[in-house]
Amino acid sequence: MQNAIQELGWFLLAPTLTILFFFGVLPFFYVVYVSFHSWNPFAVDPNMVFNGADNFRKIVFDPAFLNSVSVTVLFVLFAVISELIVGYLLAQAFMRDFPGKAIFRTIHTLPLIMAPIIVGSVWKLMTTPSIGIIPHYLDEWFGITMNIGTSAPAAFATIVIMDIWHWTPLVTLTLIAALVSLPPDPFEQAQIDGANKRQIFWHITLPMIAPAVVATVFIRLMDALRTVDEVWMLTGGGPGSATRFVGVHIFKEVFPKTNYGYGSTISVIVLYLTIVVCWLLYVTMLAPRSKKD
Amino acid sequence: MANVTIDNVIKRYGSVQVMHGVSVDIEDGEFVVLVGPSGCGKSTLLRMLAGLEEISDGTISIGDRVVNDVPPKERDIAMVFQSYALYPHKTVYDNIGFPLKMAKRPKAEIDEQVTKAAGILDLTKYLKRYPKELSGGQRQRVAMGRAIVRDPQVFLFDEPLSNLDAKLRVTMRIEIKELHQRLGTTIVYVTHDQIEAMTMADKIVVMRDGKVEQIGSPLDLYDNPNNTFVASFIGSPSMNFVHGKIATEAGQKIFLSDSGMKLPLPPTEAQEGRAVTYGVRPEHIQIGDSGVPMEVVVVEPTGSETQIFAKSGKDVIDALVKERISARPQSTLGFVINPDDVHLFDRASEQRI
Ligand SMILES: Nc1ncnc2c1ncn2[C@@H]1O[C@H](COP(=O)(O)OP(=O)(O)OP(=O)(O)O)[C@@H](O)[C@H]1O
Ligand SMILES: [Mg+2]
Repeated sequence: MQNAIQELGWFLLAPTLTILFFFGVLPFFYVVYVSFHSWNPFAVDPNMVFNGADNFRKIVFDPAFLNSVSVTVLFVLFAVISELIVGYLLAQAFMRDFPGKAIFRTIHTLPLIMAPIIVGSVWKLMTTPSIGIIPHYLDEWFGITMNIGTSAPAAFATIVIMDIWHWTPLVTLTLIAALVSLPPDPFEQAQIDGANKRQIFWHITLPMIAPAVVATVFIRLMDALRTVDEVWMLTGGGPGSATRFVGVHIFKEVFPKTNYGYGSTISVIVLYLTIVVCWLLYVTMLAPRSKKD
Repeated sequence: MANVTIDNVIKRYGSVQVMHGVSVDIEDGEFVVLVGPSGCGKSTLLRMLAGLEEISDGTISIGDRVVNDVPPKERDIAMVFQSYALYPHKTVYDNIGFPLKMAKRPKAEIDEQVTKAAGILDLTKYLKRYPKELSGGQRQRVAMGRAIVRDPQVFLFDEPLSNLDAKLRVTMRIEIKELHQRLGTTIVYVTHDQIEAMTMADKIVVMRDGKVEQIGSPLDLYDNPNNTFVASFIGSPSMNFVHGKIATEAGQKIFLSDSGMKLPLPPTEAQEGRAVTYGVRPEHIQIGDSGVPMEVVVVEPTGSETQIFAKSGKDVIDALVKERISARPQSTLGFVINPDDVHLFDRASEQRI
């Protein structure tokens, strides 16, 4: 009986597992395999040649790669932290009643359902000098000239703001869910125990929603680390390499340059870095809690 | 320490009114117990005292200050919730020390206070645990600990002992009384438990449906209940009630029940024929040949006492006596009632006559 059920279970899982194997596991190991080779099918020698850890050795001293990592990290820091703060404030606002709340909440989640490529195009339209609404009004109201095609800070800031615009609703939604599920008693008790608003936030609210916050940070972090399409649409990694995030960097390495071997190596390293960052986050924020609840 | 004045307080939730003009004067250092059936508004009143619930009408003052618009943290009160309200992410130690930490007291003082409270409450072993690793009774004691480490103006307790076993309940009851005697702090205490109310209170407030039925010392309420509700609520086992009217027999007023049982009356102004409810406490009934003959239904010996349920016609009366009586069901016993122990209530209004 037990066996029959188990067999049926595997049987039902088989299609998913097969797909997962061919489109997830296999390509992953293939990329790892390729990353130990020099392989450019359009070069003089189009063959895949095993070159040991050469790619990895090269990557450590590759200024283009190191630059892409540092702009990515900067971008992720700015974007994710802002999204958390704005998302939390919005979540708190939506916990209260105010006129037009339902409509505002619906509108505010709309960016979530847009594909990144569309988001990129829309923002490009809005920010292209002499066409876009944003440079137009910046100029008209404040006399500021904004040109994301030539100004590195403007391009970077626009991408951060675009990401905030696109992904804050996700943070808001998860934090609303977390806040709604909190029991009211500890908050009342804390008031009686003499805690002020700030103390309640740090001592009660934050620790109690920490699991949701960490989960959200995980999702956003992993997503932000591999941002490609929006940036590709908006700036193409420019001006110069100001917004050339790792995703964009890999894309450029693999497609125009057809450096398959080296591109795979970067992918593997980025995956490794992502895992390390998430693990650190998990260990510092969640592991001490697992004892508690 | 402070006196507390609750003046004609009304509470509405939307259009539903749950509190209809409650007034209680609590003196400085007094131990006041709120009792009443479930849903009568005890917790609501306590929460209004704490500032967690808005006061729809009337005023509450702590000391000389009207606190209607004072937020909880400025009222200087400590409260133990019916649901404990522990901080799930903090250890027992941090839970108990939380009010002191919020007040930015030095670490050494917090440590001393928490250790002392844990000792009193028998929680020393559990200081490093989290609330979910504790039993209901232990959680309740942590909540108590968090209240007693402070030195507030007023303590508010919402059924703080309801989840403890009988033995611990007695210990904690004594502990709270001692705490009260030592600190002399005003305490407002909600309970369902008769004995807690009678033994701990300086003053008992009996509530029903958002109204105060009677306020008085425990013995006062026991001896002179204002109405049948208070009479039935105070005292355990509960008072016997028999419905009937005043009659005259041989020139003397007696009570004649609806099913024809005759019971003795104290001197009363009530006129013949008036419909009344006759009340007598089980512990005031003796067994003897001179008494009213009653047919035994059940005899329940507890060792120290014997409770006898008996009937006459449709009327059921129980007696609680010190002697050991072994009467068989359906046998007849005489119930002796001293007229001085009898309470008479108007049948329609249920008020004392
Ligand atoms: N938020 C609320 N909205 C509407 N009615 C409420 C609300 N809170 C309490 N009530 C009502 O107020 C009345 C008093 O409730 P309260 O909790 O004070 O009762 P209680 O005397 O403490 O009962 P218990 O002994 O069961 O704890 C109840 O009838 C309850 O239904
Ligand atoms: Mg209650």
